[in-house]
Amino acid sequence: MSSPLRLPDPHPREAREPRRTRPPLRLAPRRRPRPPKVPFVVVVALVALGGVVGLLLFNTSMQQASFAASALERHAGTLAAREQKLQMELEGLRDPQRVARAARDAGMVVGRSTCFLSLADGATSGPCTPATAADGMPIEPQPQARPGVLDPAPTYVDPPAEQNQVGDTGSRGGAGDARGSRNDPRGADRGARDRDRDRGDDGTARGRRGGATR
Amino acid sequence: MSRARPSLRGQSVLRLRVAMVVIAMALSVLGARLVQLQGVDPDSYAEMAAAEGTVDAVLPAQRGEILDRNGVALASSVDGMMVVVNPQLVDEDAAPELARLLADRLDVDYFDTLTQVRDQRYQFRYVARRVPSTVANETLEAVEDAGFDGLSLEEDPVRDYPAGDVAANLVGFMGAEGEPRAGLELTFESMLHGTDGEARYSTGGGNRIPLGETSTVDPVDGEDLTLTIDRDVQWFVQRALRNAVEGADADSGVAIVQDTRSGEILALADHPTFDASQPLLSDKADLGSRALSDVYEPGSVQKALTLASLLDAEEVTPTTRITVPSELESGDTVIGDYWDHDTLRLTVAGAISQSSNIGTVLAARRMDPERLHDYLVGFGEGAPTGVGVGGESTLPLPDGEVWTPMAADRIAFGQSVSVNALQMTAGINAIANGGVYVSPSLVRGSATTAAGDEVGTDEVERRRVVSEVAARQTSDVLEQVVDPETGVAPGAAVPGYRVAGKTGTAQRANDECNCYDGTLTVSFGGFAPADDPRFTVYVAVQNPRNGGGGGSVGGPAFSSIMGQLLRHYSVPPTNSSPAELPIEW
Repeated sequence: MSSPLRLPDPHPREAREPRRTRPPLRLAPRRRPRPPKVPFVVVVALVALGGVVGLLLFNTSMQQASFAASALERHAGTLAAREQKLQMELEGLRDPQRVARAARDAGMVVGRSTCFLSLADGATSGPCTPATAADGMPIEPQPQARPGVLDPAPTYVDPPAEQNQVGDTGSRGGAGDARGSRNDPRGADRGARDRDRDRGDDGTARGRRGGATR
Repeated sequence: MSRARPSLRGQSVLRLRVAMVVIAMALSVLGARLVQLQGVDPDSYAEMAAAEGTVDAVLPAQRGEILDRNGVALASSVDGMMVVVNPQLVDEDAAPELARLLADRLDVDYFDTLTQVRDQRYQFRYVARRVPSTVANETLEAVEDAGFDGLSLEEDPVRDYPAGDVAANLVGFMGAEGEPRAGLELTFESMLHGTDGEARYSTGGGNRIPLGETSTVDPVDGEDLTLTIDRDVQWFVQRALRNAVEGADADSGVAIVQDTRSGEILALADHPTFDASQPLLSDKADLGSRALSDVYEPGSVQKALTLASLLDAEEVTPTTRITVPSELESGDTVIGDYWDHDTLRLTVAGAISQSSNIGTVLAARRMDPERLHDYLVGFGEGAPTGVGVGGESTLPLPDGEVWTPMAADRIAFGQSVSVNALQMTAGINAIANGGVYVSPSLVRGSATTAAGDEVGTDEVERRRVVSEVAARQTSDVLEQVVDPETGVAPGAAVPGYRVAGKTGTAQRANDECNCYDGTLTVSFGGFAPADDPRFTVYVAVQNPRNGGGGGSVGGPAFSSIMGQLLRHYSVPPTNSSPAELPIEW
């Protein structure tokens, strides 16, 4: 034994008191029965498990609430947007110009006279004349004149003079064709008006010529 | 055994050393990494971590509304969205179909949209801006249902002007980026805008993480601005004015309605004007309010103020007799009347109601010119009205050495003095209000302009300019102007009511030639009921080309507007008769 510790002598009393053979009896402390470990472990395990599961459930419910909150927020946003849209539509319907147009289309005009009725005696005061259609007030702007580029003045070309008709092969007839083709897409009434004007011009031109020849 | 021991010991020492070296190496790697993370570049990883799943959202403050006196919105804000596309995420073959879907849903041009959607050079292209959020969300859902990718929405508030051009001259408009560009939107920007808030939260799968980082600063919404304008009256005045301007083939016109007692502006119309929702479609010169930005010589309407001053100073009475020559020398110039006449014998009432320049000058010469100056200052001439609309221009009254007797002569009948339409309205309103000037106001309550001025009905100034008797007498004289037989503007009369008013037909000063260029400003200002005034209406039309004057152009417009006002506010007729004043003697 290479241990540096000195162990006590195991039989020192025997050496001194060899007669004593029986060790003195003493009341041993009553050994408590150790509580069984299993229930404790089970309880701890249950508590831990319960905690974990509870936490998980709690977390899950928080998540659920979060999903619900997000969905509700989106829903609220949609509803708010819809309310605003309806409000906008309402404001559009309340637009005085729209109301005035509807009133005009229903045949209403702005009254020009004021009539007050006294409820006490049924008397009226003020010029109580009913409004007529002539009292109407224009509520639309006058149509804007188109700039000259978009609305060129029509050019009127005299038909070729009789003496030219035979020999005239050139530019005037061509110009007339070009004018005719340009007028066509502008609408029939405009073309008809132009033709009327042309006829009128023709008439006077012929008349003048007639006078001159006479 | 004894031989194995040292080798075992040696092995464990060796193992320990090796392990220590390995651990030391590992620790120094970790240490180096620690220094790198914490010392060299501490923020980038924190940012990367934060960016992963953390949302920083701006919570935009709702812009305050601009309301009329009855709480009807003239300008309101609506949640809007911009629809943006990342073309790099859009399949080339799917582009036409996506563009068609967007064009149908958002009412945008198909070919423009197709170009944007196909533009592979960019990751961000606008498809549509300021789309109401319901429409935007429905579109996004439809696009996602159809299986397209690359489309997203961003906040883009919409400013809505439900009544289009009604009061647009006052309210102003917003620019493309949501910044105020003109009118009250600009003047009261700080009040209307509010303060944006911000939210920062962690998300996972589109939902907030409940216990994640979260911080919210709530936005402070802008305050509403309530005007004294009545939208329905404003609409009517704008239409009546447009008819007057178009009927006279004129350049422009203004019409103003003021509540006589409170000084509140019920309507302030300009023509031509613009649609606040589409300001770019109008001429740039029409995007403001000429009633405040244009100064001009008022002409004969000024005679009403001169008369009130003379009556207050007790220099004349309405029946004072004046001998009116055919022309009158004033310094080195000659003053004439608009009609040729021999020497007339007019009363003061006659001189004013017939709008005789010479008669007015002769009456005004009875008073010290300096005193007339003080009266006109009292009526608000030369000083801005300060109603809160930006860009108000005024010219000072001639003063000191410039205030010569000749200048005083001309100013007495409305030349050589420049006003804006609102100044003139407020001046006439002082006569209507029994001689007490009430500063006009456009804002209900009190509000602070961008320049820091407090304006509004709470800040109204009142001052007596002329006595109640003088105002009453002036009103009696002005009633002769609309007299159906002797007056010069019978067209301004309102059937059933007593109306007092004055015509004005002024030559327009041309800045370029520094002369009168032959064009005219025609106007009519007045109030009703004359014996218990409720409203003051002033109409001025610039450069009518139909040969009309204040009576024939301004008068009917005045009558139409005043009649509508009296009906709209149910003002009963006073059922009294106008004073009979002699015109001649």
